[in-house]
This record gives sequence, structure tokens and C-alpha cells, in this order.
Amino acid sequence: MASAGPPPGMGPIMVLNSKTQRTHGRQAQIANIAAARAVADIIRSTLGPRSMLKMLLDPMGGIVITNDGNCILREVDVSHPTAKSMIELSRAQDEEVGDGTTSVIILAGEMLINAEPFVRSNVHPTVIVRGYNYALQEALTICEKLATTVDIHDADRMKALVQSCIGTKFSSRWNDIMIDMALKAVITVARETPTMSGTSGCVNDVYSQKMEVDIKRYAKVEKIPGGEIADCAVLSGVMFNKDVTHSKMRRRIENPRILLLDSPLEYKKGESQTNVEITDEEDWNTLLKMEEEYVENMCMEIIAFKPDIVITEKGVSDLAQHYFAKANITAFRRLRKTDNNRVARATGATIVSRTDEIRESDIGTGCGLFEMRKIGEEYFAFFEECKDPKACTIILRGGSKDVLNEIERNLTDAMLVVRNVVFDPRLLPGGGATEMAVSVGLRKAGLKLEGVQQGPFLAVGEAMEVIPRTLSENCGVSVIRTVTQLRAKHAAACEEAEKERGEGAFPKCNWGIDGTTGKLVDMEEFGIWEPFSVKIQTIKTAVESACMILRIDDIVFGSKKKGY
Amino acid sequence: MSAPNPASSGLFINGQRETGQDVRVGNVTAALAVANIVKTSLGPVGLDKMLVDDIGDVLITNDGATILKSLEVEHPAARVLVDLAKLQDQEVGDGTTSVVIIASELLRRGNDLVKNGIHPTTIISGYRMALKAAVSYIKKEMVVNVSELGDEHLINAARTSMSSKIIGRETDFFSRLAVDAVKSVKMNATAADVAGYDAMGSGGHGGGERLAEEPTSASASAGGTTTGGGKKQRYKYPLSAIHILKAHGKSSMESNLIDGGFAINAMRAAQGMPTFVESSADGAHVKIAMLDMNLQRHRMGMGVQVIVKDPAEIENIKRREMDITKERIRKIIDTGARVVLTTKGVDDLCMKYFVEAGIICARRCNREDLKRLAKATGGRVVTTMADMEGNEAFDAECLGGCDSVREVRIGDGEMLYVYGCKGHGASTIVLRGANEYMLDEMDRALHDSLCVVKRMLESNTLVPGGGAAEAALSVYLDDYADTIETREQMVIQEYADALLVIPKTLAVNAAKDASELVARLRSVHAKGQHSQDPSDDGLKFMGLDLIEGTIRDNLAAGVVEPAISKIKSLRFATEAAITILRIDDRISLNK
Repeated sequence: MASAGPPPGMGPIMVLNSKTQRTHGRQAQIANIAAARAVADIIRSTLGPRSMLKMLLDPMGGIVITNDGNCILREVDVSHPTAKSMIELSRAQDEEVGDGTTSVIILAGEMLINAEPFVRSNVHPTVIVRGYNYALQEALTICEKLATTVDIHDADRMKALVQSCIGTKFSSRWNDIMIDMALKAVITVARETPTMSGTSGCVNDVYSQKMEVDIKRYAKVEKIPGGEIADCAVLSGVMFNKDVTHSKMRRRIENPRILLLDSPLEYKKGESQTNVEITDEEDWNTLLKMEEEYVENMCMEIIAFKPDIVITEKGVSDLAQHYFAKANITAFRRLRKTDNNRVARATGATIVSRTDEIRESDIGTGCGLFEMRKIGEEYFAFFEECKDPKACTIILRGGSKDVLNEIERNLTDAMLVVRNVVFDPRLLPGGGATEMAVSVGLRKAGLKLEGVQQGPFLAVGEAMEVIPRTLSENCGVSVIRTVTQLRAKHAAACEEAEKERGEGAFPKCNWGIDGTTGKLVDMEEFGIWEPFSVKIQTIKTAVESACMILRIDDIVFGSKKKGY
Repeated sequence: MSAPNPASSGLFINGQRETGQDVRVGNVTAALAVANIVKTSLGPVGLDKMLVDDIGDVLITNDGATILKSLEVEHPAARVLVDLAKLQDQEVGDGTTSVVIIASELLRRGNDLVKNGIHPTTIISGYRMALKAAVSYIKKEMVVNVSELGDEHLINAARTSMSSKIIGRETDFFSRLAVDAVKSVKMNATAADVAGYDAMGSGGHGGGERLAEEPTSASASAGGTTTGGGKKQRYKYPLSAIHILKAHGKSSMESNLIDGGFAINAMRAAQGMPTFVESSADGAHVKIAMLDMNLQRHRMGMGVQVIVKDPAEIENIKRREMDITKERIRKIIDTGARVVLTTKGVDDLCMKYFVEAGIICARRCNREDLKRLAKATGGRVVTTMADMEGNEAFDAECLGGCDSVREVRIGDGEMLYVYGCKGHGASTIVLRGANEYMLDEMDRALHDSLCVVKRMLESNTLVPGGGAAEAALSVYLDDYADTIETREQMVIQEYADALLVIPKTLAVNAAKDASELVARLRSVHAKGQHSQDPSDDGLKFMGLDLIEGTIRDNLAAGVVEPAISKIKSLRFATEAAITILRIDDRISLNK
């Protein structure tokens, strides 16, 4: 539509840049829905315990093998703008809750697919959007009624929970180890945050969490190829891949005193440009001597505190190494800042930057055992048996780098699940049970609804069924039979509840699909749960993004760059 | 136009020339094309546009100004409309789509008149007369004066403005948010503030003066609502004090307003620092130091060389470098600051001092954010610690105060929340949403609503929306035209018809029968205006109900707009149409 209709006797009037292309109206809406469907189709087969992996080749020839929805979509290079916006969803989901990245895309795709008949039959998109939104509110109330609260200290329940989350993933053979590791890591890292004392009149909003769980910084995953998966472990302390600076230094210390530095232990010039004019031969010597003295001074200041281990983020000169070796101190150099932070938190040390400012309280004494170990061809420093480690390292062993990468992704997912439950200890049944309950609930509510919104409202309910449907599809049972049975179970439970407790009663029906066998099972007994926050986030994101995409009736390619 | 006509291109320069009707038709067609692009985004059932740029970045929006800004409009006359939308965005903040639609409709009708042999200057003077009559009618009849504005009206106005936007589904929530946000930044306006701050108001004033026949009363009250600060106590609502932060994740309903709070997109510089500080039990506030200087190891400026004779001096220089920063930090800490924010870097070697003192320190903050925070907490951004005597000191006066500061994890990142700021009003709206595109659009929609609320609070007047004002004006102008004896009569009639484009477009977008609805609307308004019966007085507030496809009293239904924005958009649209109609010659030069 770069031009309007030509007025009589004239050429076309070019209003827009002739490069721009424009699709609008129904065509644009249908194209958007098709793009969303395409994205959802890519990852549909990775949902559930019987999921398949995807192998992705990047232009450089590297390969990624994964079934993590976000990971797959990140690698896929799409050009359609709507598809891009779908992929963004998965990213937002990953950052917010870290799980459910596949379901969010499938659900959002299905929401759009179910809207297509309405678009085709000329229902105004705003009506569809209104119906969807209405349904979203209803779905959230159903979820809240369905939720059960879990005691986060109940190890068995927590295990079952994590199990259902990473059950779908590659490492399912090593489930028990993985789950124990995830639980241990998160509980190690969890820390109570100081709560507001009500006196100061602070606002307590949704963000003032009582717990702080910083997995990103304090639960480090170290992947060491070789060994077997059974060798994976969570240390009650930290570990890093560095060797001691001097071979004479001690390699095993019990209850070490640890000093952490972030300054170099070598002579360094000042920041300002300084020139020295030397007129005297003597001066030259003093200059050299000064440098030595400077290092010696620093070392003496350190040695005065009798640490057993000195770790710095910067370099350690040969001279300093010599002094340390003489004083029977083990030294490490060029440690990363993040690693240093972890060591600090595990051992209770404070990172010091000037040697003349060391105080007794800066020395870390929380570590029970320091040991150098050789794994494969490399040396690793282990700080173990810490008294109250608020940081930990997770060691992963496994056949190849690709396997390790995949395990790491799964473990991260598992840890995030645990974290979400620690924040919000409410659970919803997994295996498609929640979705089916919502679907049945929406159908019931929808039939009472009057007006044009009813259609879209019911469509949301139908779209929710995509999760149990895909689950049964992926495990190869008869999709229609299974889903119908499941629906019947939920509907029957609904009716029963109404009979017993009158109109509007809501049943706690936890029947879902066992993703491995495809049989219907009661999730309560089967023990498959998912965190409330993840499920809620999935439904919200899916509906909201579907609404956003439905509202578009015009796509213009080749607009000006942003920021102009 | 592309094939040079020897008769019309009688230029002895390298270029092309179009004259007379050709250029006018061309311009009008271009303007209509632009209006057509944004037409479907008008009203509560308008839809969004997706714009994809060369790199493939996506923009999803419903805002007329944003759509037109992002399109590469090349036609010069069409550019006038793009600028018009931009102007409306700056001056009023809302109604960008409708202003473009009205202008293009005026042009179309103007062009038809020219074809019927009416000279453009007549059309122009007719449009001006119509505008004048329309503006005075709005002021006299349509305006509802809400001397003590209840929240209800404000919320209604905000809701009307955002109903067409992506957040239109959650208007109850977001309109409340917008009103609370604007109210939280209420300030007493001083005369100087009014003069300086209300450049918008005086801009409208200037626009009024450009109109030669503008009655003095109209222009005085247009500007007077905002510039009459000297007479009585007025308040101002600086929207710049409302900080909008976007973080993807969660749902749009979880967006929130931190009343009297401020959030800044920064994280603690070192992990050893506390995540939370609050005022002590004796009621002392948390003090915040805001710096715009480097807390890195001191270094001489470029090209400065220090030449020393004595080698021992080198050591001293080095030591001094570290001590300078250390002393500075010491001074800051000694003033009792519990939070230190700087726009520049902080050396790792200084972290320990902060960690030991239990201070939250964040580096590389956005300077604009810090300036706002300074205003919010009643502090100052310190650029240097040097005083007149050449010594260094940190003035405790510069510290801002607040109740508590907390580092909060949002999505994958961290932010510092400052609660209970002690200075002038400031608020932060944290927007959450499914993805970045959605957040951007929510930001734009919210901005429009904030502008509307601000206008309402400053001008205290409102008009019914949903096509009510336009329909009333149309009926009134039709009658008015009959009283004119000159040939402007016809022009004014056209102007009256042109205004109906708004209710028409609204009805078309809602897939309703536009002709019937508009006819009914007109007849109701005609009845209201011609009736002597006072009970029919309320009929002038009748507008469209686009969901049901009927007409209703839009004032009662809460579909309202600030009067000033309606007046301004009429004015802008007419001015733009006149500008384009005046053109009868176009020369494009080949470079």
C-alpha cells in the first residue's frame, strides 16, 4: 500500500518509501497465527517425559542437543516478526521462573490457533481479546482453588516435585542424584533476607521476599568431562580450577585460615604518569630495592595474620611466592571475581584490597578442609566441610561436553523449580491435570456467559487441553481416547461436587496423564506436582501474548530504525 | 507528475514543477493515505500495527504518532500530517490518531469544494470561522467544569485514553495506577515554575495567536488555565518525576506503582554489601549520597607528567593515589550516608570500606535517573567534593533521605528500590508484561494516560468523548452556517460534516452500522440543541457506545476527555489542513 489510488490523469502518488511492504486486515492476522503455529510446532514434541531431543546445527558447525524449549528457540533463526515475539515469551518465562518454557509456547500457539475460526468468521479481535481475558481471570481463580501448599522441609515431597519437573529431561536415568543435588544446592544457597521492621512504615510490596536464593551467583556448576554421571556431587563448600602457585606449598590443610585479596601481590606502578629522573647510580639501586621492599612489606603484613591460604584475584610475583612458601602459606592467583565471592561467602572471609588494612575479622575460618585434587589432567582446589556454607559448587561429570551441557541445563531447571517452591510453596497437579481442570471449569463457566464473548471464552478452555493432548501424543497412545477419558473424569468430578455441595462448588480433581505410559492416574497418588508460580506464569504469559498478537491488523516491513 | 509537462515545467532550472489543481489533488490524496494507515487504530475497538524495520526489530503500537514516526513517509504534504501527530503528542500527549483523521477529512472536503469552484482562500476563511465558532461552543456548552475533581473523573479520563490501547482490557487497574502516579507528584507551582514548566500551555497560546481572528477570550482561557499561576495557588504535575521502569516477566496485572518510591536499574557493586537498609529505630532516615564522580584510584589528567628526583617519592605518589579516594569515601561515609550511588565507576579496592560500613553502593547508574532520585529524595547530585578553599569536603546537605532501600530481584536482574522518599513527589511505575514489545507499548499507552490525567488536573474541565463532542459541534456548526450570508456558509457546512468522521470511524472500527449510528447521534443532538425544554439539556452529552452499538450519555458512562485536548486537537487539525490547502505550487529540485 505504498500508494493511494491514482487520481485521474496522474501517476501514483508515493506517500511511503517504496521499499516498505504492508500486509493488513485479515491477511495480517492469519499470517500472524500461522507464524505462531509454526513456532509451537517446532517444539511440540519436546513436552513431557517421552519427549525427544532436538539437534541444532549453528552456522559455525557447532551442535546443540537439547529439549529445553527456550534453548531450542534461541538457536532457531526466525524472520517473521510474530514468531520473534513468541520466542521472546520463552525468554521472559525462562528469566522469570526458569521452567515451563516449552508449555508457554505451545499454549500461546494453541490460543492463537483457536482464535483463527473467530477471525475467519469476522468476529472483531477486540471481542476475542475480551473473551480471552475474561477466561484468564477465571482460569486463575480455578488454579488457586486447585493449589495445595507444600512444606518445603518435607524432603520426600520436594523430591517428588523436582522429579516431575526434570523427569522429562535427558538425565532421567540419574534422577535421584540430580534431585538430591538440586535440593541440596538450593537449600545451601537460601538465605533469609532481613525483613522490614514494621516501624519505619515501609511499603511491603510483592517484591519484598523473605528468602533470597541467588542460584546464579552462589551455586556454581563446574563441568569436568570424564568419569561418570554418578560421580556428580554438591560440595558443602566451593571448588575452583586452579593450581597452587608454588609446588612446595601445602596441598592439604585442615581448618585453614583463609585470606582473600583483590589486589595484586606484585609491584605495580601508580595510575598517574610518573617519570623518575635518575642522576645518581645509587638511586637506581634504591629504586629496585624499593620495589622489592614494597612486595616484602605486603607479604609481611599478610604473614602477620598467619593465614594458611592466600587467594588473590590478581597476580602474585615470584618474590611474594617465595615469602609465602617460606611462611608455609598456600597461595592462589588470578581467581575470578565471581569465584572469589563464592569463596568469601562459603568461608566467611571478607575480600580485602589493601594489605595494610587487614583485620582479624577479615580472615575466613569457616572451611573445614582444604585439599588439592587432580581430576584428569588438571588440578582443582577444594574447600570442603564448611560450617555454614552459603555458597556451593556443583561438580558434574559425564561422558562428553554435550552431555554435560545438557545435564547442566536440566540441573538449572531443577534448581529453579526448587527456588520457586521456596518462594511460593503452593503446588498444582502436573501431567495435564491442572490444564484439564481449568478447561472443564471454563467450559462450565462459559456456558453461563452471555454475548459474543462466549465463543472466545470457551476457546481458551479448549486451548488449555493442548497440554494433556500433546502429552498423550508424545507417548504414543490414542490421543482422542485418552483426552476424552480425562475430560470425562474431570467433568464427572465437577458434577459430583455440585451435587454434594451445591451450585458452583469446585472439585479437587487431580487426574492427569502419566506421560510415560499414557494411562490416566491420580496425580495426588502418582506424585507429580508443579510449582504454582510456574503454571500461573505460563497461563498468564500465553494469554496475554496471544491477545497482543490478535490485536495486530497491520504489518509494515521496512519502517525506520528505532531511535530515529 | 513524473512525466514533465512542458507547459507546466517552464522552469529554467533543473527540477519539476506542479501547479494548481494537480498539486492540490496530490497533496490531499497523500494526506488521505496517511490517515488511512492510522484510521483502524482509533477508538476502543481499534487495532494495533506491527512495524518491522530493516534489521527486523519489531514495534507493536496503537499510538498514531508512533506509527507515523516509524513509517518512512516521503510525500511532503503527508509529512505535514506526520508532524501534526508529533505536535499533538508533545502538546497534549493523547489524541494523535484523531487529529490526523480530522485533518485529512478537512482536506478531502476542502479539495471537493475547490473542484466546485470555490477559491481556497474562501475555504480557509470558512474553516477559520468554523473553528472559532466550534471552540467557543465547546467552551460555552460542552465543557463540564469540575472544580473539585473527584478521582472518579480522573480515572474515567485515563480509562478513556487507554481504552484503545493494549492495556485497554485492564483499564480499571491501569487508570487507577495512572491517577495515583500523577497525584503523587503534585507540587505547588511557583510563578517561575508555571512559566518555565508550562511551555506546553504557552505553546497552545502561541498557536492561538497565529489565528488572526482568534477571540481574545478564547486564547486567554486556553493559556490562562495553566499560566494564571499568579492569581491563586496552582499545582503542577511534572510527569518527568514519574519514572517508568520496564521488566519483562509476570503479567501486566502485576505492574505496580511504588508510591513515593523510586526504583533504579542498578545493582550492588559488591556481593558483601547488605541487600537492605532501613531507617533506624530513632527515626533517622536512610541517607543517600548521589555522586557524579569517579571513585576510582585517582589519576592525573592526560598529559600530566610528574617528574621526581627522589625515587622514594614514587612510593609516596602511589600511596597518595589510593589515599585520595579513600579519604573521599571516608568523608562520604562520615556524613552518615547509608547508600552511595554514582554515575561513574568505583574501584574494587574501595569496596571494602563500603562493605565494612554496611553501605549499599551502586556504580554506573544512569545520570538522568540519579537526577530524578535527587529531586525525589531532596538531595543533590554531587559532581565534585572540592570547596572554594581548595579543600575537599562532603556536604551533608547533599544527602537525600528515604525510609528504606532494598535490592530486589526482578526476572533475571536486580534493581534498587528506594522507599518513602523524603523530597518532592516522585513515583515509579514498574511495568511487567509478557515480552519487550508489549512493555514498550504499555509504556506508550501509559504515557498518554498520564498526560491526560495531568491535563485534567491542570485545567479542571472535561468534555464527553466517544464522538459526543464532535456530533454536537457538527449539529451546532450546521445551524451556525445558516446564519452566515457569505459564501463561507458552504465551507462551514463541510466543516460540520467533516467532524463527523470521528464518530463514523469509531463505528466502522467497531464493525457497526456507521451511517445509522451517526444519523441517530446527530438527531439526538439536534433535538437537544433546538429544544427549549431543560430536561433535554443532557442530550448534548450523548455519544456512541461501541460495544453495544447504541448511543448513550457518555458523561454518565465515564467516557471523558480533557477539554483542552479536544480544543487543541481541533485547532491543530484545522491549522494543518489550512497549511496544505494553501499550497498551489510544488517545485522539487534535482540536486
